[in-house]
Amino acid sequence: MNNAEHLLPQGRHFLDRRSFLKTAGLSTSSLALLQMLQGDGLLAETVRTAGGKEPIRPKIDPNDPYAARQPHFTMPAKQVLVIYCPGAVSHVDTFDYKPALEKFHGKKPPGIPDVTFEGPTGNIAKPFWKFRPRGETGKMVSDLLPNLAKQTDELCFVHSLHTESSAHPQGENFMNTGFTMEGFPSFGAWTTYALGTENENLPAFVAINDPRGLARSGKNNFGNGFLPAAFQGTDFSATSPPKNLGRPEQLTGKDDATTRDIIQRLNAHHLEQYPGDADLAGRIASYELAGRMQMSIPDVMNLAGESAATLASYGVEGGSELRGSYAQNCILARRLLERGVRVVQLFNGSDPSGGNGITNWDSHQNILKTHAMQAEIMDQPTAALLADLRERGMLDHTLVVWATEFGRMPFLQANGTGRDHNPDAFTCFLTGAGVKRATSYGTSDEFGFKAAENPASVYDFNATLLHLMGLDHERLTFYHNGLERRLTNVHGHVLRDLIA
Amino acid sequence: MIQHAAPTHRSNFCSARLILLCCLATLYLQATQITEAAIDFEKDIQPILEENCWHCHGEDEQESGLRLDKRAMMLRGGDYGLPTLVPGHPEKSYLIEVVEHRDPDMAMPTDGDKLPEQQIELLRQWITDGAQWPGQMNDKIAYTAEEVPWSFQPVACPSVPDEHEQNPIDAFLLRKLRQKSLHFSKPANPATLIRRASIVLTGLPPTPEDVLSFQKSCETDADGAYITLIEQLLESPHFGERWAQHWLDVIRWAETNGSESNMYRKNAWIYRDYVIRAFNEDKPYNEFLTEQIAGDVVGHGDATGFLVSGPHVPVATVGQEPSARRQARADRMDEILQTVGASALGVTIGCARCHNHKFDPITIRDYYSLSAVFQDVEFGSRYPELDERHPRREAAQKLNKEIAKQRYRLRDAGTWQEDWAGYGEIHFPSATTNAVRITFLSRYIGLDELEIFGLHDLQDNVASSESGATVIAAPGMEVLRNELWKVNDGEYGTERWAARVPQGEKGNPWLEFQFTKPTEIDRIRLSTNRENFFDTDYLTDLKPFNFPKYRIETQTADGTWQTVAESEKNSQLNKKFSFRQDALQKLQRLIAQFNTEGPRPSFVGRFKTPGPTHVFHRGSPENPRDEVAPAAPLVLVGDLQLDSNASGQARREAFADWLTGPTNPLPARVMVNRMWHHVFGQGIVTTTGDFGFAGAKPTHPELLDWLASEFTEPTIMASAHSVRPWSVKHILRLLVTSRAFTQESKPDEEALSIDGTSSLLWRFPPRRLEAEVIRDAILVASDSLRPELGGPSYRIHNVKKRYAQWQVLDNYSEETWRRMIYQERMRRVDDCMFTAFDFPDCGQVRAKRPVSTTPLQALNLMNSPFVMSQSKLIAERSLENTDNNLPAALDRCFELLLARQPTADEKAAVQSITNPKDLFLVCRAILNSNAFTFLE
Repeated sequence: MNNAEHLLPQGRHFLDRRSFLKTAGLSTSSLALLQMLQGDGLLAETVRTAGGKEPIRPKIDPNDPYAARQPHFTMPAKQVLVIYCPGAVSHVDTFDYKPALEKFHGKKPPGIPDVTFEGPTGNIAKPFWKFRPRGETGKMVSDLLPNLAKQTDELCFVHSLHTESSAHPQGENFMNTGFTMEGFPSFGAWTTYALGTENENLPAFVAINDPRGLARSGKNNFGNGFLPAAFQGTDFSATSPPKNLGRPEQLTGKDDATTRDIIQRLNAHHLEQYPGDADLAGRIASYELAGRMQMSIPDVMNLAGESAATLASYGVEGGSELRGSYAQNCILARRLLERGVRVVQLFNGSDPSGGNGITNWDSHQNILKTHAMQAEIMDQPTAALLADLRERGMLDHTLVVWATEFGRMPFLQANGTGRDHNPDAFTCFLTGAGVKRATSYGTSDEFGFKAAENPASVYDFNATLLHLMGLDHERLTFYHNGLERRLTNVHGHVLRDLIA
Repeated sequence: MIQHAAPTHRSNFCSARLILLCCLATLYLQATQITEAAIDFEKDIQPILEENCWHCHGEDEQESGLRLDKRAMMLRGGDYGLPTLVPGHPEKSYLIEVVEHRDPDMAMPTDGDKLPEQQIELLRQWITDGAQWPGQMNDKIAYTAEEVPWSFQPVACPSVPDEHEQNPIDAFLLRKLRQKSLHFSKPANPATLIRRASIVLTGLPPTPEDVLSFQKSCETDADGAYITLIEQLLESPHFGERWAQHWLDVIRWAETNGSESNMYRKNAWIYRDYVIRAFNEDKPYNEFLTEQIAGDVVGHGDATGFLVSGPHVPVATVGQEPSARRQARADRMDEILQTVGASALGVTIGCARCHNHKFDPITIRDYYSLSAVFQDVEFGSRYPELDERHPRREAAQKLNKEIAKQRYRLRDAGTWQEDWAGYGEIHFPSATTNAVRITFLSRYIGLDELEIFGLHDLQDNVASSESGATVIAAPGMEVLRNELWKVNDGEYGTERWAARVPQGEKGNPWLEFQFTKPTEIDRIRLSTNRENFFDTDYLTDLKPFNFPKYRIETQTADGTWQTVAESEKNSQLNKKFSFRQDALQKLQRLIAQFNTEGPRPSFVGRFKTPGPTHVFHRGSPENPRDEVAPAAPLVLVGDLQLDSNASGQARREAFADWLTGPTNPLPARVMVNRMWHHVFGQGIVTTTGDFGFAGAKPTHPELLDWLASEFTEPTIMASAHSVRPWSVKHILRLLVTSRAFTQESKPDEEALSIDGTSSLLWRFPPRRLEAEVIRDAILVASDSLRPELGGPSYRIHNVKKRYAQWQVLDNYSEETWRRMIYQERMRRVDDCMFTAFDFPDCGQVRAKRPVSTTPLQALNLMNSPFVMSQSKLIAERSLENTDNNLPAALDRCFELLLARQPTADEKAAVQSITNPKDLFLVCRAILNSNAFTFLE
């Protein structure tokens, strides 16, 4: 079969919505019409894949790229919230309790390298915050995050994560896109490419950036990479709407309506000459969608209807200004999820342009101060968000991921006050739909220096996230530049032990 | 519609190529001399292999692409690319390594126990004795025909089908159309045609006046008018801007590094201008490729921006661990290989970084051999080699003379210092010495590099460790940053050595350089972070170089030290002699002038002495294996007859010769296909960057080869246009004068039911315009587009802190009214306008852009300051052009934006506009309409 006959990056033709639904997936000729968003348009049967599994290509209606699509298999989670903490949160000061650090405090046992990422190393340091048993399980969590600690029984920790780079941007890229290099599609882009969204009046994938700005890898953390631009994360927060969303100030509502009316007439006339052309129809539909977003985005951003109790529980007032802004972003995250947005990625930290440890979790100096400052911002609002989602029953169908790019060293840097990057062991947690409660998966070694039992790569972690969303990480592929690309490259095993 | 000479028969051109098929793909290994065999293969070895290996690596199954039942296959090895057997060398044979369980992740056999030591010893002995294998000693490894993709075969010379078509392209297409009972559509009308041809060839729409005049000419002689139009478009300086855009996409060229700091690459744009110029001049494509790979050798230093077009992580953000640095270097090499593979070869070379290519006959050895070719390339800036007549070289010559004059005035009256912005220079009377000591009359000193030159050779830094010089520092210094060797390692940038006199102690820091032989010197050049001035720009914290106070001494033959320069003395002399002040002032002015008008350091790569290259087992720089010579893939007869002693230039030159030489059919095929893709919207091979097994097969294989052949050996109308081989314009002329290109784009229900994708070209397939065309066309409509070519990019971003993100400040006002190819091209930065239109983020190779539709496009095109301000300008222009006659002005808006008169329906659509102040709403609407954003 000549595979080029199925290709149509342009001149895609003849499909109105009804006939699309009628024919989708039924014949090769209709398959030809589904190519819009499928890379160079190679069909599964003509492609040799590295892993041997046949790709499952989402059937994307060119008129409606965001339409909800079926997962590969049924799982409880329909939506996902990723809370991302740039800068690397110290696992040994938060969730990964290591009594040996007390014992070796101030000593330099054998096996500690002379040089790590930022330079010469110092001695082992005990946790900077006291660990206490929490909840029914009595799992040890530190006092740094007292509010999240109260929810320990609800969380599923992965303590044996390890990554491929000890530099932040590469680490962020790896966690969020599965590659240390730039230009690969993000987890959110892959997920919306596969699943579309439940509410087309809002973007399918929203990236809520920190009030201090974008994280170090910037847009790459929520970019579409080589997937079509339709699947990039839309960047807005509780206080700053997407660019060019609003009607320009110098226009009246009537002006806007006039413009839209003319566009509609011109396009209708133009479409008569190209009856049924999918690209043209898709563009017309996108204007309607944009118009609806102009209403729905300000609506979702408007927190005026939130009760005083809600605002208080998230900590909008009464803490630092940054906590207040982050708390509003947390409420926005819940509102987006309530309205059916498929993927929400919420950032707690930005690039370091404001100085070391002031804008994100990076803590090479004075970790006592810098981690405390970040924790004050992150802890209460995040805990309130999780509790709120739980109370509203949203965790039945929402997966929550709390992640960072790597951990921090069990020993200090030569300066004696900060911990350097640790790519070989770190902790993230999951909760919500499809995830086991009160679970700790894997361990790091006695110092928290390297992953020990059941080491989990970032590939494994991402494979698991896709699995929890009902997607087979080996079959969710996109042909680009010679390869069927995946979020997990050619690696990754689903961590089945943490799936409920 | 165009008169073509009859195609000549080309068999003589082809015969030379066909011979090459015989040479293709013979990876030849010589049989070893049969020695007296202590081991009997059949008795001692075969049972071990049979019992333990053949189940997974035998006739039925070849795990990891490995067979252990054939000697030749063992010599070749499996996917990891290591030879399983190296006769005579058990220590180099991967078989021994895996049965010895040296790497727990690669221990064989996988299931079951380790082989008994006695059996391992037998294997070792067998290999030591030459791995005797009765009956297979002369077996050679050669790729079978099925293992080599169609595109690696020599270009065939198909004869043009006899379809009575003037343009051979149409003949090939028509034959296929007829087979499907299809035919070409009727010719497009002149207005459609001129818009289509103008946009495809120059990226700009025609003006209403262009359209009128073309329509008029068509009334008398349509063919002639069209040919004239095409020649005008091909000669337009905007042609190069359009086609450069496509090239820059493929190699993901951008003006920032990417990664955390994402710093601006200073003067990187000179490469963009080189590409534009090359397309405008119709530089033969083989020369174009050669110059980009070895431009430093042939006076086109600006062309090597190609080599460093990909992203890289600067050393400051890689971290201090040596293994991380080795990995970063390997990543940079990989970016270079991806660039070369995707653009010139259409082969996904990067797939062979960790193991043999899964689909194509590219081995891991090929990958590292290819990386050896580029081993002298490093990401950074240099003074590009320019043609003698280049204005910057001429300016430099002139200014150098002026500078020499002023230095001559100063030379007789002591020493002096010059501030070159990025570095300082101290000049003193020429002295021949074995050693120099520089004492800094301060407590602290930080230097990224200190260089020493003699008057007679301003290129040869005699202080560099490479030249054999050694350096020591004052004892007892407190080192604050890095080790001392950083001051003469030839690397500029943040990796500076910094030290101070410990608190409470007296003294000054000093450095002493020892040469290997008495050396004549007369100047010292020093800097703290020259990278700031060489490599980057637009950072808030670019600090100028500050001269410390100093004393310089040279060692005389008897071992004593003699002062040759002192900063304090300079100051005294300057006070004493007014002519010195005058000369120094003039000198600084000339230096400033030189820095602007002379050759400037530009981010087009820098070169270093290449060392030997090793295969990195499983892609890890921590696991170097066999040394490899610089070479191109063996399957394409890529032996370059070089070894690790070859200079960097020799390596790249030899590679360029091979790349464009007769054994390599890929560059011509890939380039003609790319041209086809940009003309018709879809390549003959739809995977424009992958011509391997994982890519698509050509829809019209014979047509593709005919074009490739016509590209390298032009025949059609070649003499009329004095066409040289590898002429891009020649091929484009053939494409756009075809019936396929000049036909209508309207749908036809019956044809659609047969060929829904229009890939057989029964019509010209309509498509959405790219980001650049949309922006440029809006500026054309408002008559705001500034026509000048080249130069620094227009800025839309802020001046940022080193580790901050770029922010868009202004993407719409007058300073930005240039073609979008001149917009600062920042990696992974949303330009708040056209990123939504699939404008690439320049992170990964983009052989072609996806076309997607998103509501963000609609919002940007409705509400952005750019569209609002341009809509008003277009409305004003319409009114001005029509003496404020509103109905005429309404028509004029359509003419300006769509390059045609409005239809009756379109006129009706804007009837509601009755006030001239609302005219801009019409413009806003038209530029949002499908008619504007589609190429019909």
